[in-house]
Order: sequence, then structure tokens, then C-alpha cells
Amino acid sequence: MFLVTELILLLTSNLILTQALGTSTLFIAAGNRKNLFWTSVTITIFTTAGSAAAYFINDIIPLGAENLMPLFYAMAVGTLYIVLLTILYFVSRKNFKTARKYVHLSAFNCAVMGTLFTITEKVAENHQLNTMSGFILAGLEAGLGFILASLILTSAYRRLTSADVPASFRGFPAMLLYLGIISMAVYALS
Amino acid sequence: MSKKNSVFDGLFGDNTVLSSLMVISPVIMCGDKVKNALALIYAFSAITFISVLIGSFVPKKLPYAVKITIYAFISSLVYIPVKLMAQQFFPTVINRTGIYFMLLAVNSLIMVQTETKFYRMKKSRMFFSLIFYILGFDVVMLITSVLRELIAYGTVYEKVVDADILISGIGMPFGGFVFLGLFCGLYRKIRFIVRQRNGGKKNVSGN
Amino acid sequence: MQKKTKLQRFVWIDIMITLMTLEIMQYFYYGIRAVVLSGICVAVSVIAEIISIRMMKRKFTADDLMCVSDALIISLMMPAVMNFRIAGIACVFAVVVAKNVFGGRKNMIFSPSASAYVFMLTSWKSQLLMFTTPHTHTGISEKAVNLVSSASHTFNTSGKMNFTDFEIIMGNVTGASGAVSILLLAVSAVILILRRDISAGAFTGTIAGTVIPAYFAPMCDSRYDSIKYSLVANMVLFASIYIISDKRIAPKRSYYAFFYGFFIALTAYIVTMTTAKENVIVIMSLLFTPISLGFKSLEKHIENLKKEEAKAFE
Repeated sequence: MFLVTELILLLTSNLILTQALGTSTLFIAAGNRKNLFWTSVTITIFTTAGSAAAYFINDIIPLGAENLMPLFYAMAVGTLYIVLLTILYFVSRKNFKTARKYVHLSAFNCAVMGTLFTITEKVAENHQLNTMSGFILAGLEAGLGFILASLILTSAYRRLTSADVPASFRGFPAMLLYLGIISMAVYALS
Repeated sequence: MSKKNSVFDGLFGDNTVLSSLMVISPVIMCGDKVKNALALIYAFSAITFISVLIGSFVPKKLPYAVKITIYAFISSLVYIPVKLMAQQFFPTVINRTGIYFMLLAVNSLIMVQTETKFYRMKKSRMFFSLIFYILGFDVVMLITSVLRELIAYGTVYEKVVDADILISGIGMPFGGFVFLGLFCGLYRKIRFIVRQRNGGKKNVSGN
Repeated sequence: MQKKTKLQRFVWIDIMITLMTLEIMQYFYYGIRAVVLSGICVAVSVIAEIISIRMMKRKFTADDLMCVSDALIISLMMPAVMNFRIAGIACVFAVVVAKNVFGGRKNMIFSPSASAYVFMLTSWKSQLLMFTTPHTHTGISEKAVNLVSSASHTFNTSGKMNFTDFEIIMGNVTGASGAVSILLLAVSAVILILRRDISAGAFTGTIAGTVIPAYFAPMCDSRYDSIKYSLVANMVLFASIYIISDKRIAPKRSYYAFFYGFFIALTAYIVTMTTAKENVIVIMSLLFTPISLGFKSLEKHIENLKKEEAKAFE
């Protein structure tokens, strides 16, 4: 029962299904299962590590200077981006060429930046969440949400791009409609 | 498909939102009211145009990741005066658009298209092409918001229009997905017909 | 191929016969308005189907008549006093957005009727979940008065149902006009399973997925009542026959179909118990679409492996 409730919570707080964050990235990555898996993993790394950074940034930003938030977050994600690429380069130079594309695709997308903004918004409403672990968990949850959404899309990918779908709707439009109907069910549930 | 790229592509041939599926989250989430749409159109146009122009002066020899980080830094800086101005013009809308206003600072046109498209062009061509890519977003955002506001709330720019049945779901995020999916399909159909008339190849997949 | 086409048409006829019996009950309890509502749903669906099929440059054949049964299912899930225009919009949504945009009957992804129901639930919740009591015959153009919430709502919030077993069996309870006639639904289920028109695996899975949690985590004082009411309330029986066991959507193999139905019902039961929401099973059937598609891919994969093995033996 706990598992079902948690799964439903993950669905109803899913960034893609409820806030349309990272949808374009999901569509780009959905073409290939390997791409989708690694993109999801990289995004989870970014959302989790980025959220931890956001916790410290929120402490630095003085009250009334919220307009600086995107600047600081962008710098944090940019630093993570370069650090991750450097680590990848030194850990496995052989796979660096393949692996770096996932990092490029994941770094500055709506799913990552949106997660940081969303968590900060939530914390502003509920100060109890303003802990390091709260930020990291929220970041991890957002990443897991992305993985769940990618699984939902992957299961239908072949059908959405099949020759049976009218040419005008084949691919992206069908994916949007598919996610729309799933999102509608999630909305009805929440 | 005619492979010769035109500076007008961003508006019709390769529309920013409907063809490339860039910057779709603000359209889905905030494209339910014309007032929201106008604020986002202003912010997107200003941030993207200024950031891409400034970013074009970043040395090309720098590593890709460093350049992207610099572009993000520039656009986040540009975001500050744009936001301050928006607070003057659209004071009530800023809170409603929430994180989507901030997200415009790291939109795909700046983060992805600069390196893959704009900075590979000559400056003059880039300038016009950029304008049409921005217009591509603006037009879709405006059309979407007018229709969604009309269908979901029975108003246009918050002026009540006589509508018997309202479909409130169209104003919700899922309504945004469904509406944009249908709009995208319609756009492809029209593009296909236009290209067929112009004697182009039958290619409407657009993926 | 010819055999397969014929079979699909026969499925449609069988389903239509069972739906028509429910329609007659609907007429008995709610009068002519309920029938007109169904008629509007059918007419709008057929028109939408013909137009969208023409746009897809395909011919409208007898197999496309499944849109009629989908329309009837939608109308049976609504209150008899539902606004006609809302019903029409829901049917267009079912035919165009949930079905034909994805390629129609050749490439079914979502249950059209479930999609239409959830669409109405998100846009016109108050109209969809308020009902007239049975034997209240509202005129075609009359405005409905004295609307009440459904028996399912009472059960979800209080764990009780203020109706006798006989009334429940005969469908003499407040709720969606076609989804409460339990006896007819039970007979329909048996007929459709015996004639292999619906997925027996998905149906038994759904029933098991409702009965087991209702026994171990009852929603009311008595376990017997919990099982009984959980099966008859919240459109569980109706959805398990016409939506979850729909062969166009459910996995082909009974084994997978059983688990597909089981998990839909189980999650629906848990959500109903924790949130008291009505008709969660219909929402769940939509949310489990990716699971069904996953099972179908697995079935295809297994079939291909078997074919390869057979070839290797040859």
C-alpha cells in the first residue's frame, strides 16, 4: 500500500506530467532506449547535485535580491557541467565522446533548472523543507520523476512513430497528445 | 524538403515551437491566458535577442561546455533588467508565470541553437534569422493563449466573450499538451500542403 | 485477414447487444432523456469517425462501427441529465484525440471511452458526478433539479450504502445510469467472456484485484460488505467489462492480462480507500496504458523469439 501511494505521489508531483519541464529533452532522447536511459541518469545527477548547490546558494542570496537567483543557479549548474565532463574525461577517455553528449543534453535544460526553481518555491512556502537533505531528496525525486516519464514514453514510442499514425501527427505531435492524456489522468487523480 | 535555409524558417518552415519543440513548457503552462502570454513574449524576445547578440562575441575557440556556461551567465544577467522592466509593465502577471519567467533565461534558443545554428551564420543573416525564430515563438504563444483562454475561461484578454460551454481542462497543463499536440499536427499539415504546392518533396515528418 | 475482420465485427455486435440491454434499463429508470443522450453520443461519434477517417484517406468500414459501442459506453457512464453539448464534446475527444490521431483502430493506445470519461471528469466534474435519483424522468429540454451525489460517493466517504441488495442488483441506486445495473452487468460479463469478446484474464484480474484488498483491508466494518460494495460501487464491474477487458487495449495473453487488470484494480482500491475519490478505476485504466503497451511489446518479443526458434529447428 505504501509503495502504491509513493508511486502515485511520484506521478502527481512529476515535473514533466504536471509542469511540462524537460519535455523537449525527453522527446529528443526518446528515440533510442540507450539514449533515454543515460539522459535520465545524467539529469538525475544534475537535479540532485544542483539541488544541493541551490541549498547553499539560497543562503548566500540576500533577501530582496531574488532576481539574481537564475544567475547563481546558472553558475552552479555550469560548474557542475564542467566538473562532470572533466571527471568523465579522466575516468574513461575511451567512452568520453559518447558520454559527453548526455551531459551536453542534460545540463542547461528546463528539467534541471526548473527543478531548482521549483524546490526553492516549495521551500518559500514550507520552511520545514529548508534542509540539505530536503533539497537533495527533492532533486532526486525530480530525477526519478523524469525516469518514470521516460519509461511512460518509451513504452509507447514505437506506436507513436509507427506508419499507422497519420503523417502530420507521427512523432512529436503524437507524443505531446500521448503525454497530454496521461497528464490528464494524473491531474484527475491529484 | 527544400534544403536551402531561409531566414524566415523560424517563423514557418522550422517553427521554434511547433517544429523544433523548443521552449514548449512556457507555452503549455502559461499559454492559457493572453496576459501571461504577452509578458512571456516580451521577456523571451528581449532575453533571447540581447543574449544571442552579446554571446556572438564570445571567442569561438573556447571549449563547448565553457561557451554554453558563458551564454547561460550572459542570459541570466540580461534577465535582471528584463525582469525589473516586466515588474513595471506586467506587475500582476509575473507571480502567475512563476518559474517559467525565470526559465526563459536558459531557453533552448540560447543554450542549443546558438552553437548549432546562429553562430555558424554571418552576423547579418544571424540577426534576421534570430528575429524570425523569436517571432516563431511569439506567434505560437499568442495564438495558443487566445484560443485556450477563449475555450477554457470564455474570455479574451480577460474580456468576457459569450461562450455557452467552457472546457476548463484546456486551461490546465494537460490541456496545454493536447492543444499543442493538435496545433503541431495542424501546422505540419499546412506546411506539407504549402510545400507540395511549391513543388517541394513530400516530407512532413519534421522530426 | 478476412477472418480477423469478421471477428471484430462480431465482437462489436455482441458488445452492442449487452449495451442495448443496459440502455433499456436506463430508459426504465430515467426515461427518454437517457436514450436521447445516448443517441446524441452515437451520432456525434459516427460523424467524428467518418470525418476523421476521410481525413486519414481511409474508407469507413463496418469495423469502424466500434465507435458506436464506445459512444454508448460513454453515455452509460454519465448521469442521464448530462448536458448534451458536453456529451458531444466528450465523444469528439474520444474519437479524434484519444483514437484517430494515433491511427485509429489499427493502432489503439488508449481506451476512447475511458479517455472521454476522464476528460469530462477534469473539465465538468460537478455535472458528471451529480445525479438524479432512479425513476426521476427528466424531459429532454427540462433542467434537472434535486441532484444528489452517487451511492459510490456515500460508500467511499462513510463505508455504507443506503440501498438493499435487491436494489443494488437491479440497479435501482443513484449513480451513472448504465453502470449500476449489477445483474445485467454480471450476465453481460459471462456472455462476453464465453463468446471471447472481452479479455477473460483482464476481467478476472480486475475482480481479484478488487476482492483481495477488500477482504484484507476492508473499507467498512464487515469484510463481506466490503467485498460486495467494492465490486458494485465506483463503476468497478462496468469498467472491468467494457474498459479494462477491452481486447483492443488489454494484453493478449491471459496471464499478462490478469496482472494488468489486477494491478489496475488494486491501485484503484488503494486510492479510493485513501482519498475517497469516485470511479478511480477508470482513471487507473488510463494510467496503466503504458503497462499494457509494455506487456504487448513483451508478447511480440516472445512471439518473435518463438518464431526464430522454430526456424532454427527447421
